[in-house]
Amino acid sequence: MSTSQPLLRVHNLEVTYHRKLVAIRNVSLVVPAGAVVGVIGINGAGKTTLLRAISGFLPGEDAQITEGDIVYQGRSIKGLQPHETCSLGITLVPERDKVFPTLTVAENLAIARWRGDSNDGKGRRSIIDRVFEWFPVLAERRGQLAGYLSGGERQMLAIAMALLNNPSLLLVDEMSLGLAPSVLASLEERLRAIKEELGLTVLLVDQFASIVIRMSDHCYVMENGGIVFDGPPERLLAHEDVREFYLGMTDSAQGVKSYREVKQYRRRRRWYG
Amino acid sequence: MAVGSGYFYVSYRQALAVFDTAFKKQSLLALAIAVALFPLVGSNYQLYLVNLCFIAVLGSLSQNLLIGYAGQVSLGFAGLFAAGGFTAALMVKELGFSAFIPVVAAASAVGALLGALVGLPSLRVKGLYLAISTLALHAVIVYGASEYQQKFGGSAGIVIPKPSFGPIAIDSDREWYYLLAVVAALATLACINLVRSRVGRAWQAIRDRDVVAAACGIPLMRYKLLAFMVSSALAAMAGAIDAYHAGFVSVEKYSFLLTVQYLAMVVVGGLGSILGSLLGAFVITLLPFIIDFTVNIFPTPERLVINVLQLQRIAFGVTIVAMFILEPRGLVALWERVKSFFQLWPFKFMLSGTR
Repeated sequence: MSTSQPLLRVHNLEVTYHRKLVAIRNVSLVVPAGAVVGVIGINGAGKTTLLRAISGFLPGEDAQITEGDIVYQGRSIKGLQPHETCSLGITLVPERDKVFPTLTVAENLAIARWRGDSNDGKGRRSIIDRVFEWFPVLAERRGQLAGYLSGGERQMLAIAMALLNNPSLLLVDEMSLGLAPSVLASLEERLRAIKEELGLTVLLVDQFASIVIRMSDHCYVMENGGIVFDGPPERLLAHEDVREFYLGMTDSAQGVKSYREVKQYRRRRRWYG
Repeated sequence: MAVGSGYFYVSYRQALAVFDTAFKKQSLLALAIAVALFPLVGSNYQLYLVNLCFIAVLGSLSQNLLIGYAGQVSLGFAGLFAAGGFTAALMVKELGFSAFIPVVAAASAVGALLGALVGLPSLRVKGLYLAISTLALHAVIVYGASEYQQKFGGSAGIVIPKPSFGPIAIDSDREWYYLLAVVAALATLACINLVRSRVGRAWQAIRDRDVVAAACGIPLMRYKLLAFMVSSALAAMAGAIDAYHAGFVSVEKYSFLLTVQYLAMVVVGGLGSILGSLLGAFVITLLPFIIDFTVNIFPTPERLVINVLQLQRIAFGVTIVAMFILEPRGLVALWERVKSFFQLWPFKFMLSGTR
């Protein structure tokens, strides 16, 4: 990670909810341009908070950045509104409710082109055609209400909407949520192809560790609001703890460890980490 | 978009037209002719009732823009309606200025200003909390208005002269009918165009998922405030026109019940639908009169005469509840169901993706 200026640098970040609950503390990470950076961690590790901090959604949740800084393309984006970070090219694919359920797929996509350059009619048509190429099912269901889409189709629509924003940095929150492994695999493949085609930078946040390890160039592991480990996916794979507790693999002869041992591990990490 | 009709746009102009299909054009023409000719057959009383409906259309459009499209629940309608009425009263009584169009425009401006004020909490609170905070506005405006009326107005209210456009004085129900029909039609057209514009899209996005809307780059603050301002301006405009139509302004009229009535219009008609606003306005305004009329057809036994009023209220409630059991999404959904039945007949459903 020795690029002269990374696209995004989170420095020593601390986020507090309701002025009393510190959700993440001392989090630093670097997202180089053109890379896929992954963050893994269990529920409550602070992954979503991190994304909210970057995209500017904290004030709406009665939370604030109490320390540290977020630098995007060389300027601090701390305290910007969501639509302002969006106009800088940071687009969030939210965790759950990610589409407008009472509007049709076509209307969803039309809203997603909110920021699209209105002077160039041709450019806008071509990007929407490309989106339909990437996700043919959306073209099929163009006139259908987004509330009636399946989980996988919704995720595709959400990613398509994010792409229409013409982002430089795509923040994907829990892409695996509620998706069957096969659906997830095809989505992963498509996202990878799109990323190559558009030259996107992606920050992928998921608790499903194997997808993050498969997709990313650099991984961070979050626990209890802090980053406990980072490195390229190969090093993560080689790391014994990660193998055991995020991937469920074990090298020891006695097989999978018991729940009790997992608990003990977690307690140990909390004390020492 | 025409449902499963095989009707395709071949030019952008066609795609942008409000009335795109031949059926819509023909039914609009038929409606326009019917509206224009109604005064020739209707009695003065009937015209008066339809006039009330036209005013209700303005109010229910305003409520539907805010609640149905932007998703901001507000209970301040009666306050804004009163603000419109009292702006007209103030201008007539204090400034001696009674020209119809400037007064209505001034009332709208006051409404927009108050709307911005009442919309400020929407940036922080949602749902029921927002509803209560808008209720505060109603209390403040009505309090101010009643103080003014007690000190400077008569006990019966403030008289407002009939409007006139040059030599044409708007006096009889027939003249009012034509004026209000034009105003209601213009307001409806404006709203139809507003909700399918960029602004309307932003409102619907905020209503559905404000987080996603912001992630799409929509400035929430600006569009929420805009929704409050536009809706309040329309509500105040309706209030001013209503004041002219009634010929006087009195604070008793602007009770919380008025808010509930207009809320009922948008909910019964269908949230998030302009046609729903129109249907709701007509049905809620006319239903008491229809029930009254129906009850009067049957001879009332002597000992029940006193209870007839209660009977009518019960009938009103029962009708509304029955309608919701029949179609929870309002009258407009009922209409959609009828329409799609005839469009698809003899089939039961259409293939997905053909729309």
